[in-house]
Amino acid sequence: MKITVTKRRALVLAASVGVLALGLAGCTRGGGTPSGDDSGAAASPGITDTTITIGIDTPLTGTTAGPGNCTADGAIAYFGGVNDAGGVKFGDGKTRKVEFKLYDDKYDPNTASSNFQQAQSDGVFAMALGLGTPTNNAWKQAALDAGVPQVLIMTGDPKFDDVSESPNAIGLVPKYQDEGEAFGKLLAADGKQHKVAIIEQNDDYGKGYVEGFKAGIGDSKNIEIVSDLTYEPTDTSLDGQVTQSAATGADVLFNAVSVTPLAVGELQKAQAIGWKPSIFAPSNTSSPGGVLTPGGAIDASGNPVYPGIYSVSFSNVPAAPTFASSENGQKFLDAIKNPAYYPAGASPQTGVPDFPHCVWSWIGGQILDQAFQKMTSPTRDAFMEALRSISGYKADFMLEGTSVDTTKDGSPAISTVVVQKFNGKGYATVQNFG
Amino acid sequence: MSGLRAPNTAVIAAATRPTPWWRTTWFRWTLAAVVFLVLVVIPFIADPYSNQTMTRIMMWAVAILGLNVVMGYAGQVSLGQIFFVGVGAYATAITLKSHWGVDLGLLGAVIAFVLAAVIPGVLGFLVALAAARLRGIAIAMVTIALPIVGVPLAKRFSDLTGGAPGISPSSKWFRTPDWLSGLLYDDQYRYLLALVIAGIVFLLVAFLVRGKFGRAFAIVKANESVASAMGISPYRTKVLAFTIASAIGGIGGFLYVVVNTFTSPDTLSFPNSINLIIATIVGGAGTIIGPILGGVYFQLVTQIPTALQASQWTTVIQGIVILLVLFLLPGGLASLPRVIRRLTAKRPDRHVGTGTAPAPIPGNPGTTKE
Repeated sequence: MKITVTKRRALVLAASVGVLALGLAGCTRGGGTPSGDDSGAAASPGITDTTITIGIDTPLTGTTAGPGNCTADGAIAYFGGVNDAGGVKFGDGKTRKVEFKLYDDKYDPNTASSNFQQAQSDGVFAMALGLGTPTNNAWKQAALDAGVPQVLIMTGDPKFDDVSESPNAIGLVPKYQDEGEAFGKLLAADGKQHKVAIIEQNDDYGKGYVEGFKAGIGDSKNIEIVSDLTYEPTDTSLDGQVTQSAATGADVLFNAVSVTPLAVGELQKAQAIGWKPSIFAPSNTSSPGGVLTPGGAIDASGNPVYPGIYSVSFSNVPAAPTFASSENGQKFLDAIKNPAYYPAGASPQTGVPDFPHCVWSWIGGQILDQAFQKMTSPTRDAFMEALRSISGYKADFMLEGTSVDTTKDGSPAISTVVVQKFNGKGYATVQNFG
Repeated sequence: MSGLRAPNTAVIAAATRPTPWWRTTWFRWTLAAVVFLVLVVIPFIADPYSNQTMTRIMMWAVAILGLNVVMGYAGQVSLGQIFFVGVGAYATAITLKSHWGVDLGLLGAVIAFVLAAVIPGVLGFLVALAAARLRGIAIAMVTIALPIVGVPLAKRFSDLTGGAPGISPSSKWFRTPDWLSGLLYDDQYRYLLALVIAGIVFLLVAFLVRGKFGRAFAIVKANESVASAMGISPYRTKVLAFTIASAIGGIGGFLYVVVNTFTSPDTLSFPNSINLIIATIVGGAGTIIGPILGGVYFQLVTQIPTALQASQWTTVIQGIVILLVLFLLPGGLASLPRVIRRLTAKRPDRHVGTGTAPAPIPGNPGTTKE
């Protein structure tokens, strides 16, 4: 036994040195020496004279699958129609069809990062529209190193909008701060005395909302914040926070809550104890069907039981009755159900989408279209330059008072929101509080 | 077995047969050497994406190896392994991002590596001091708390951990260093870095479980009373196994940052811990090769359906694989060669081929010994 051990060691050593040397000597890939990027006038990967390929990494299965699928489906449906009409006439004079590749990250950062590597291997031109902050963060650095655009992503993280930190990236939707600020401004402009109770999710989401809200109020004398209570996203009930807030006698509840069941429970609890403040609900927990009705905020005759339920938005929602009757709305609803537009393996929407992300993604598709029309050479650099030069553009479904502006460093493509008030059927834009 | 039945000829044959060639130490070490050499050469031939995938597999293999020490060898169910992976990842990411306020210079990555092993190791030791007093399912219940506490903690200390969006150190640390530039691409460098780290960890564990402590693990796994009677403290043995498992988990976390240059609270979420346990069982608990197969399973079971644009089938495929393994290969994928050999050896004795799972042969080495 002892002898074979020595023999084996010698063998291993000799063989490994030999093969290692062989391996290193044969280290050539594509004939060039390894280097970061080969920038030049040549076309970037993922673009030919007739097609351009865009990757979307987003949760298609799992708990975030609903909004996740929508973030892909809107743009797919939009470009489905554009491709049918011949394609996009790019700034370099060539007409290309826009193709999509979908990558399901299940809202898991490791999967997202692996997907990005796969997308690179598949040779996509750019990554776009994906939903999720940790999942987009997971390959932010890798995309930056590889020079792959990571654009119009749906996250509230301002890092992606900072040109010096992420020259290859930009967000699509308004930040949490933008939403909070819009409401703060509306309240401050009212002039009457208001006592505000804040219930705040203890993470970047809640903090962002409250930061924006306080900035919106500024130093207005008429607003007094009487309580600021926090909770963990994993908490199962906000009854304690609601009771405490009610005890302060606040007439406005600023509700920085992103968890749907908690938002529903809050509305129920407030009624149970007879507290009827005006409520500010964030865009993702203000849905009439998903939050207000289960929360009992609408009585039998269809009227809100609270004096005012406000939210913020920049786009129409497909569930609104006026949506389907508009020409664009009908086009959207037809396209998003058309299986011919979807890449293999994707599951099209089957009816009116439940999530606003479908509309946002459609708007994102239109912004991409604008950038394609402006890019004068088939490179990623030219694309980023074109994408960063859109201002005053009003896409389909965007509300009066909002527009696309990609030229502002530190802001996502859409940073303007308008405050809306619930009228029993849906939300309508309001100019004043009350 | 009843004494009235004729003795199983296969058992007698197995007992009298000389050690087959595939069992010899010589063959095994040669095989290991060949596998290692192939692994060294692969990154120079394969495309970047394959290299990146294999680096991920090595990362999970290390994390699973840690779990295998405590679960496969020492027989203690730990539902908290992902916590230590996460802590290791945070130790690495924070060290490389903030340097703890000190200029660490080029040693940053080395210090990060040491902290990624030591901090989870110490935490694992402290947890085990309490948890190892318990047995069986009670230990599982204590360890379940770790990932459940870990996620909110990682979000709460956002100044340090970056909060919910996560933390990404500069990617310069794990790109090809200057003195190797021109020789290695980034993906090759990361692959080889992971291979060296994983190779050393696997070798150390292989020696550990073959020695004094490995035998102690096996006895504690089999019967704690017997272990006590033999003068082996089950408590100390379990604490040792936990500590080693946690430190190895932390090294897995270091590799997580090598691969992703990122970590977030989602890294240490509870479902990942369950997935690690499943991967341990699918790969083969109580073997050295098992965690490698488990790592392959862990990464590819989500990656392949995604690549085929069929990710909605991922959980179904996962379920099928788990059921197949549990029914056909209770010892995990690592037991496949043994099962094949047994089936091929037995076939001539059987009058009718049956679909039932083969019963363990008496005298066959247990799953604790590879």
